[in-house]
Amino acid sequence: MTSYSKEVIRDLAAGQLPWPQTRRIMSAYKDDDRFFKMVAVYQDRVAWKDPILLPVSDHLFICQSGDERITRCECGHSFGDYRKNWKLNAAINVRNTEQSLREIYPNSDLPDPEWMEIREFICPQCGTLHEVEAAAPGYPIVHDFEPDLEGFYHEWLGKPLQGT
Amino acid sequence: MLDKPASALRLRERLLDSQRLMEETGCYDGITELTLRNQDPLKFETLHTKLRAYCVSAREMARRISASPGVREVGEMVVAIYTPEGDAIALSNGIMVHVHTMSRFIKWMIKKNYEENPRIREGDIFANNDAFIGTVQVPDVMDVVPIFHEGTLVGWAGAVCHELEAGGITPGGDVCLAQERFTEGLFVCAEKIGENDEIRRDYVIRCERNLRMPIYWVLDEKAKVASCIDMRESVKQLISEIGLDYWMKVSKEFIEEGRRAQLARTRQLTVPGIYRGHTFYGHVTAGKPGFQLLGDPDWLYNIPIEMEITTDGKITMDFEGTQPWGYHSMNCTPAGMDGGMFVTLTQHMNFEGLVNDGAWMATELKLPHGTWTNPDNEMVATATSWALLLPAYGVFQRLLSRSFIARGFVEEAFVGQVNSPMIEMGGESQYGTPFGMAHFECAAAGSGALAIKDGLDTAYVGWNPESDMGNIEVWEQSMPMVYIGRSIVPNSGGAGKYRGGCSFVSTWLINKTPHLRLHTSEHSSRVFDNGGTCGGYPAPTCQKHRAVRNSNIHELAARGEPLAHAPGIDPHMSDYEKNIGGDHVVVEGPYITSPHKEGDIFSHSYNGGGGYGDVLERDPIKTAWDVENGFLTREAADQVFGIVLKDDEDGYPKADIDATVTRRAAMRKERLAKAIPVADWIAAERGRVEKADFAPEVKKMYASAIKLSSRFTKDFSDFWNVDARSIFTPGAKP
Repeated sequence: MTSYSKEVIRDLAAGQLPWPQTRRIMSAYKDDDRFFKMVAVYQDRVAWKDPILLPVSDHLFICQSGDERITRCECGHSFGDYRKNWKLNAAINVRNTEQSLREIYPNSDLPDPEWMEIREFICPQCGTLHEVEAAAPGYPIVHDFEPDLEGFYHEWLGKPLQGT
Repeated sequence: MLDKPASALRLRERLLDSQRLMEETGCYDGITELTLRNQDPLKFETLHTKLRAYCVSAREMARRISASPGVREVGEMVVAIYTPEGDAIALSNGIMVHVHTMSRFIKWMIKKNYEENPRIREGDIFANNDAFIGTVQVPDVMDVVPIFHEGTLVGWAGAVCHELEAGGITPGGDVCLAQERFTEGLFVCAEKIGENDEIRRDYVIRCERNLRMPIYWVLDEKAKVASCIDMRESVKQLISEIGLDYWMKVSKEFIEEGRRAQLARTRQLTVPGIYRGHTFYGHVTAGKPGFQLLGDPDWLYNIPIEMEITTDGKITMDFEGTQPWGYHSMNCTPAGMDGGMFVTLTQHMNFEGLVNDGAWMATELKLPHGTWTNPDNEMVATATSWALLLPAYGVFQRLLSRSFIARGFVEEAFVGQVNSPMIEMGGESQYGTPFGMAHFECAAAGSGALAIKDGLDTAYVGWNPESDMGNIEVWEQSMPMVYIGRSIVPNSGGAGKYRGGCSFVSTWLINKTPHLRLHTSEHSSRVFDNGGTCGGYPAPTCQKHRAVRNSNIHELAARGEPLAHAPGIDPHMSDYEKNIGGDHVVVEGPYITSPHKEGDIFSHSYNGGGGYGDVLERDPIKTAWDVENGFLTREAADQVFGIVLKDDEDGYPKADIDATVTRRAAMRKERLAKAIPVADWIAAERGRVEKADFAPEVKKMYASAIKLSSRFTKDFSDFWNVDARSIFTPGAKP
């Protein structure tokens, strides 16, 4: 069975693994112990102790926090119950003018702000930009991901889900 | 009279039987045990490898018969081997989207009882480019030949080439002005075009009389037929070695194995759950010549996708809430949607083991009737289906990637494909002859970023994983334009910790022609039709066209003065305007205008991919390299990424790490100071929603989605706490 050291997985996640080695990992059969190894890498990265149950974005994790399962930023900020859309508890900056779009696209033609806006979802504690939506004005905010945590742990990983 | 299959069951009955068995057992053709694989796995694998080798070899041989730079240079071709019922067993590399669309074509003929009339016999050649039968768009012309063994039909060999000219209302393959089927060009509707391994002369005459550049289409037909015969003979030889019974069983076990492997890979690489995303496409044609006023000239489409991965490993994609079909060229048939799914799977999940139709069988598409994904009118045009397909499957790639990230396989996450607008042309060639063609250098856009590195620059399109822009010299042989520039477009990748891949822009001098019609398609300029992931921004929208009519370029060249080779980095005034005299033209959206002539200049930009991650985490040293090499501008490095660059002793950009850290800390504070809680934004925005205070095209988009989808209506109403129906469709019956 293919398997890599935790150090290799850490460097891979950080984008610091040399390309030839990364390429070999991409081409090889996948390592079945990846998930828990990656979770351990993320767990080392965060300063908080709540066990990570699932990474959901570059700096967002579903974790077991006491009796609750919440979406937490790497900085520790809680976005609440993992079943709810974390974006609703974020801070937002909307770019819907030529001037504000020009800040991100200084040398390109721009979309029409009457047709399209950019929404930046930001951690209110550390200021990390977690997600960007490009949407027509008035379009509801998207709930990106509703994982089936129970099914994933019980049926695919064959492990109990903490807190159950 | 023609021979008929020796099997006890006719083809149509066999197909129905196979479908029934799948429904009853959940396994392809009722194969619940992979008996032959278990008996001798090495033989099993070796045989599939042989079949794949037949396909790859046949495609490479055929590309050398073709006259089309699209096929020869860019590789716009794929071949595959099928079961008698039309399910793909093995395929070549190339435009794999068509492996499953050809499957639909074969099944269509079987269901229409072609066995009775026009009969299916050894040596027959059938062709099709009707998307409602089984292809994506008119230029995707497919040929299939039956494979017989001692009188029994034992399979099919099939090949597709993307034609550079289809004889439509506008020249080229992606007929951008087509607004209904009757303007798309030459249709071949599941037609028997040859017998005894020979293409019929009357069919060739029809092609020669109805195409602007028949040499491409006709030689491609010969290339495809040659590849089919090559595969057929190889399969017949194989059957003589392994026996007919073994072939009939193993060919189906290959597919069932492919289906199981796809389910297993889903369970291995992803996380079950519901994933959602969307993208948009904006079309701008008001006031442009040639468009009939059959629908709104300017319109906005939303493309929402909900993907569900269940614990049994099945992936379902649901397009509910998207827009109705329209009188434009961008509609898509279910065959095209299938093809998009298939080619995406082959790149992201089905890249090892037995690649075949089995992967597609482990997925499901929900395509709402009446929408652009599944028109309830077979007269609609699908000539530029890719305009909506590519953004849609870019969303699919982002949704899949989120599941890879959640599972820890960050190296597989990819921000997705983008539209790559195409140039088509026709008129009088540099040789004084009539001509028409699509320019296929668009097959080398920028890719979306990965979760661990930047995207590919000028090296990816979704429809052909073997992306290639073709050599300048080859294109120049085929059209009355010469290149005066082909260069990277700075900042064309979406910003992020890892930027999207950059695109390129070409600039041409129109040469040796008094009449050159230039058109472009797949051109969403008002809205992003791509997206970023995990904090990355979308790549810029399609850039405007910039042309110079009656330029003074020959005088400038004679005087040895500098020319402009690209639009430059000032969005308000291009380098053409700064350096070249003449009548300057800036056109948004599809380029539909009066013919050009010798001495004019035309430029066309392709699209880059979306970014990944927070821009303030981008590597400053990599960014300095990007600026030095033209992938990013200094302005972007400073203002978007917060990276302070200074010049080294040789004048090259060098990152000032300490100053960058300080600047980024300030930008992060500024970001927080500007942002407001989402709840406050929703409360403020709700008033605008209640008043429907939006541009007419945005209001129309909501009204259309609400009419077609009760789920969209409910989601919209619940989110804003409004009655969406009364706001956008007042007076309409629920």
